[in-house]
Amino acid sequence: MPPRPAIRPSILPPHFLCPSVPRSFTRTLKTIQPTPRTRTDRFNHGPGLPILGASKTAAFLRKEAMLPLRTGALAIKKGMTAIYDPTTARRTACTVLQLDRCQVTGHKRRDAHGYWAVQVGCGTKEARNVTRAERGNAAAQGVPLKRHVAEFRVRDAAGLPELGSIVTADLFQKGQYVDARADTRGMGFAGGMKRWGWSGQPASHGNSLTHRAMGSSGASQGSGSRVHPGKHMAGRMGGEQQTVQCLRVLKVDKETGIVVVHGAVPGPKKGIVKLQDAIKKPWPEVDLSVGVSKMGSTAEALESTI
Amino acid sequence: MSLSAPTRPLACIKQAIRQCRLERQQSRRYAAAATEAQYPSLQTRYPPPTPGFRPSQAIKQNRFETGMKKIPVVPPPRSTTKACPDPIAILTNTQISVLDPTGARTRLFSPLNPERVQAGDILLVRLRTGDPVSGTVLNIRQRNQPIDTAVLLRNQLTRVGVEMWFKVYSPNVEGIEVVQRREKRARRAKLYYMRQARHDVGSVEGVVKQYLRQRSGGPMGSRDAKGRDANAGRKNKKKGKK
Repeated sequence: MPPRPAIRPSILPPHFLCPSVPRSFTRTLKTIQPTPRTRTDRFNHGPGLPILGASKTAAFLRKEAMLPLRTGALAIKKGMTAIYDPTTARRTACTVLQLDRCQVTGHKRRDAHGYWAVQVGCGTKEARNVTRAERGNAAAQGVPLKRHVAEFRVRDAAGLPELGSIVTADLFQKGQYVDARADTRGMGFAGGMKRWGWSGQPASHGNSLTHRAMGSSGASQGSGSRVHPGKHMAGRMGGEQQTVQCLRVLKVDKETGIVVVHGAVPGPKKGIVKLQDAIKKPWPEVDLSVGVSKMGSTAEALESTI
Repeated sequence: MSLSAPTRPLACIKQAIRQCRLERQQSRRYAAAATEAQYPSLQTRYPPPTPGFRPSQAIKQNRFETGMKKIPVVPPPRSTTKACPDPIAILTNTQISVLDPTGARTRLFSPLNPERVQAGDILLVRLRTGDPVSGTVLNIRQRNQPIDTAVLLRNQLTRVGVEMWFKVYSPNVEGIEVVQRREKRARRAKLYYMRQARHDVGSVEGVVKQYLRQRSGGPMGSRDAKGRDANAGRKNKKKGKK
């Protein structure tokens, strides 16, 4: 509470009643007195407030616990085969994937980009087929040109390998689980039966010329005499990204770059598959440096070409 | 050139031959010049390119980047796809070498083998678990990899038609024996018509029994139950002798 003057100017009698009190005195008092803050701020802002649930920061923090600790790898789908266990005679269908020149080509940082991620590229391209801008970017990072590039989110800066590091197949251990993410085969414009698994309409019983048709797209007045958003209809099918979770790794070979996973993986042969530790299983207990070897010669090679 | 040595005629001849050779060479050179003049399109206007010259590269990089700063390109690392273009074959072959170390199963179904199993043959499949199964081969199927080679056998059990698929390389299959070959090669790869009543060969039990008896070295014919007894008798005799 600020100190208040002993004599309030409003309590003073009028000037004509007490002429001895100088007018200037009361004025001085008024100026000295701090104006009382009666009106409080109606808006809740300032530091130290809880983060709003709908904000980007809150979204990042929510997802943080689910993000893998390590980077993933880009692999080429080679095809499917089977593996027999000679003792139990169990046949396991598996997909063979191969890593080719998989390398760390960039980092995404929380301070600069808003999240932590490893940019990984695979394959190679001839320099003459690449725009000057792209070549300049690769040269600035000190990495070779890459045919395919993808990002793998990681939890923190510890999961960012050095730029130019080669990701080898021994990133994944035999027996661990991975998530495989790839673009599915494009089916083109597909009817509702194929696209959404509808059962169609009867072949007989008076049905005429409408055996695979969509039928009704909704009720009339009861649902507002309109087609609800998201109604399943015929249209482009496939060609979109799909994730298959928790595929067990059956075999890994660093020299040939092979990763064999249990079961099927989306997409056609020769398609690019993103592999990363399964988020629904415990993280593999391996060192962060496993499977990520420093290229070593990147910077030197770059300098030698300059 | 002067021929001024009448005292030694042979030396003169030698010189004359040399002269002749020189003149011939000269005349050839002139002739070549004459053809060049005749066909100007055959003349090279520019020096030929150096070995290893790639026109596309030269055109693209020189046309657009004259006078610009050159961007260095880091060489890519070693390619695993080039080192190992067909990893599935490697995986399959390692599997087969474990599951079929002698190569007998591979040979039995190899298309290169004239004695291979074909549709219509009668097979006996010995299983690791349970009784052996026999039947006529209706179909031999190889899905995408040879490890998935399988054979479909049809037989009759208690007068009911039974069909079973067997994976050739499965560890559950201990052995496959050809009981009887079809006399004439089937003209279809898949003998599914044998499911029809008028084409069905019925049970192959008799053929298989006879084959087993023959293989064990027992007497041929219809003495079914005597095989074991005869053996037992022999053993007893031996024991008695001792």
